[in-house]
Amino acid sequence: MSIAALVLVLLMLTPYVIGYRIAFSDVVVTSGWLLFAVVVFLSSYNLRKKLTYPPLLKSSTWLQMHIYLGIAAMVIFLFHTSGKVPTGHLDIALYALFTLMVASGLFGFYLTRTIPTTLSSRGNEVIFERIPLFRRQIKDRVEQIILQSIEQSASSILAEFYESYLMYFLSGPRNVLLHLVRSERTSYRLRHELRESDRYLDEQDKVLAAELDDLIKLKDDLDFHYARQGLLKLWLFFHIPMTLVLLIFLVAHIVLIYAFTYGGS
Amino acid sequence: MVEVNTPVRDKPKRWDLPFSMDFTNEAERREMSFSDLNDLFAKKPFSEMDASRFPDSLPLASIVANDTRIRLYREGDAIVRQGDYGNSAFLILDGDCRAIIEGLDPAQLGRQADHSKSLLKSVKGLFTNALAPEVRDSRLYPQHRDKAVFDPSGTVFVQDVPNILELSPESYSEARHNIIPEGSLFGELAALGRVQRSVTVVAAGPGTTRLLEIRWQGLRDLMKYDNGLRDHVNELFRQNGLKGAFQMSPLIQAIDLDEEQWDQLLAEAEFETFGSYDWHGTYQQLRKRDEDLLTQEPVVQEEGQYPNGLLIIRAGFARMSRRHGAGEYTFGYLGIGDVHGLQELMHNVSTDDNSPIQTTLRAAGYTDIVRVPTRTFEQVIYPAMMKTWPDGNFPEKFLGETMERRKTAMSTRRASWRGDRRKREFSGAPMMEFLAENRYINGTATMLIDLDRCTRCDDCVRACASGHNNNPRFIRHGKIHDHHMIANACMHCADPVCMIGCPTGAIHRSEGGGEVVINDVTCIGCGTCANSCPYENIRLVNVRDQSQDDALMVDPVKGKAIVKATKCDLCVDHHGGPACVRACPHDALTRADMDDLLDLSEWLNR
Ligand code: HEM
Repeated sequence: MSIAALVLVLLMLTPYVIGYRIAFSDVVVTSGWLLFAVVVFLSSYNLRKKLTYPPLLKSSTWLQMHIYLGIAAMVIFLFHTSGKVPTGHLDIALYALFTLMVASGLFGFYLTRTIPTTLSSRGNEVIFERIPLFRRQIKDRVEQIILQSIEQSASSILAEFYESYLMYFLSGPRNVLLHLVRSERTSYRLRHELRESDRYLDEQDKVLAAELDDLIKLKDDLDFHYARQGLLKLWLFFHIPMTLVLLIFLVAHIVLIYAFTYGGS
Repeated sequence: MVEVNTPVRDKPKRWDLPFSMDFTNEAERREMSFSDLNDLFAKKPFSEMDASRFPDSLPLASIVANDTRIRLYREGDAIVRQGDYGNSAFLILDGDCRAIIEGLDPAQLGRQADHSKSLLKSVKGLFTNALAPEVRDSRLYPQHRDKAVFDPSGTVFVQDVPNILELSPESYSEARHNIIPEGSLFGELAALGRVQRSVTVVAAGPGTTRLLEIRWQGLRDLMKYDNGLRDHVNELFRQNGLKGAFQMSPLIQAIDLDEEQWDQLLAEAEFETFGSYDWHGTYQQLRKRDEDLLTQEPVVQEEGQYPNGLLIIRAGFARMSRRHGAGEYTFGYLGIGDVHGLQELMHNVSTDDNSPIQTTLRAAGYTDIVRVPTRTFEQVIYPAMMKTWPDGNFPEKFLGETMERRKTAMSTRRASWRGDRRKREFSGAPMMEFLAENRYINGTATMLIDLDRCTRCDDCVRACASGHNNNPRFIRHGKIHDHHMIANACMHCADPVCMIGCPTGAIHRSEGGGEVVINDVTCIGCGTCANSCPYENIRLVNVRDQSQDDALMVDPVKGKAIVKATKCDLCVDHHGGPACVRACPHDALTRADMDDLLDLSEWLNR
């Protein structure tokens, strides 16, 4: 932590130190190039992930540098733009892109530090790609139960319950947004509803209903993992492609600046 | 009451599968005939055994009929290979054998001679990895000589063993070797204790060499009821193995013993085996039947008893537990070289007290121990310890695990500010219980994943695949305790039961770091290793041929797909250590040596 603070303070001071020694317009140019270098370094994390060899520091070390430099980039950016929104179309786009980039980074950082604990404290550990398979297995088992109930008892309470609630609940990932805010409202309601109908069931159906209750919980936990693991993947789907767009815009920005400022004179 | 749909089966019995029928290759299976047995009982040592000393439940003839098998080797065939883990001993019936002490190339034994790839090759691999799974270069695979080689008598030669004579006649003749004459017994030490074979033995002819292979269960029973054999084997161990066993203990290494003291130690030490040598099989069965493992583990030394000596673990593992309420709780375990009872003995010598043992020691699966009797400890080891550390400040690492030491080690660990969940002790009794119960204590590079940090990004899996021609060599899935997962990755066990019985020596310890690796070229896909691994960390895969558009390779004779065993090799081929650890962005993954409890608890409690 202390190293991080030191790095930050130094980076924040850099423009001042440079500023005293060189003219103001040079501060913009220097901070611009510095920012470019930092962004290129931040982007290269993607390459490091792909290049398992040669062994270039651990990925966790890279991520630490990434986060510190990502925040540093934000500070340099403020100096570079003097905190003002620019006027040209390209510059506005670049401004927006960079802000989004940093915002998505911070958001992702928050997610990677908070979601894992919630995953390990609820439901079974499950590999994301296998969730649809487990979902189907649960659905199949529920359907078996409903068929069994229809065969063995005169009442159609469980079958109706299936038709009006479970069929929809089981046929895909549900309550994604609710799971993201860790609300268990829907599953609570479902299970409450099931328990309410318990008193109308005969003994055989009661046994089946108890298993249904377990399965609803299982499916709900699966949805929970789907939503939260999914979000952990989804944010990177913004963060990574945006990196490429940002780099393209940055290069265009630099080319234009040099073409008009220096090339023109 | 038997439930309606419980399948009713006979309880498996010891001799359901005689040793002579226990071959993966059908052609080699042949029951011992009456004349084989007659023949054997006319030879030493069987001719000298007194059948009446054997109990009715274990008659001598049945032991020989069920626990031995006759094997034929041609000149130059390797019978045992240096570095193998064996579970049988050999008696030479006809012909001679040669023990090759040095001078053989690992490749001649079916091993992979050199593992490390150049950095450039590693990098190049990233760009040339195959698209299909498990693609191989079939040109590397040797074309087999005739599959089954029959003797006129109808017996089958052992196949798939490397023939050292054929592989390289020059270096065979240059190698330093001793003749083992007809009638000798060899390989008994490696069969009885979990130690590697110390020499390579090849058949030396002339012509066919006929051997009787005796599996360890039979050898143990023969020794139990025949004093001659027992004394012979024990004497061999006292001469060849005991000093080595002592030297595995850091305590004995640290103290200075003169020749006389050594002699006394070697003469008076006793050795014993607890538990089952093939613990992995028993363990798998017990787990299936959901039995309480702890109570099934044989007691080596019990809490409350008078210490009858200093115990040194020679092979296997032992669990330390303490009575707690109606049960026992585990607080640690011991591995090779660790000692038990030292603190109590030292206390008793220095105070003239009679303190009993403070913790129960049980064989976690299988434990070989060397016991230094209390009197020998008092006369040899304690004085030597006092000479080495005159001020009585014995370094902690030699003193062995004790309850108190663990407690202080834990309580000095910093309390964390990261919330209640983090403040809990993650390497306490429940974790020890989990590790011992699941036999994870066996691992020297166990993959641990901290699920509170893991973002399930699978960077570890991808990095692993990228170093192995696009094939991940582990599964990010496994048993979980609290928020720590032991993933399904080879743990590179201290006691590598997977290596027992590999017919070609393909699965072996690498020369450099001792990692357990499989030589893909000599692996015949028999599945012995995969079936033995109690952790299910070895996978059999169908391989594809890169020169045939990645089509599945098929054995032209049998028409069956060619199978190879695969597992994590700890990236021995590459520089930089295990790729999985380096690839984790959140430091959530480590490869832990379970022998290093302090390191482990440090990681668990970060
Ligand atoms: C201009 C600014 C930034 C650029 C160009 C950038 C670029 C990248 C790239 C290319 C990756 C690699 C993703 C992959 O291949 O898996 C990445 C990952 C990541 N970045 Fe950024 N980033 C920026 C700013 C930030 C900031 C400010 C933060 C947070 C403080 C941040 C946090 C992260 C995190 C947490 C990861 C993911 C690590 C993982 O779980 O795999 N980034 N970023």
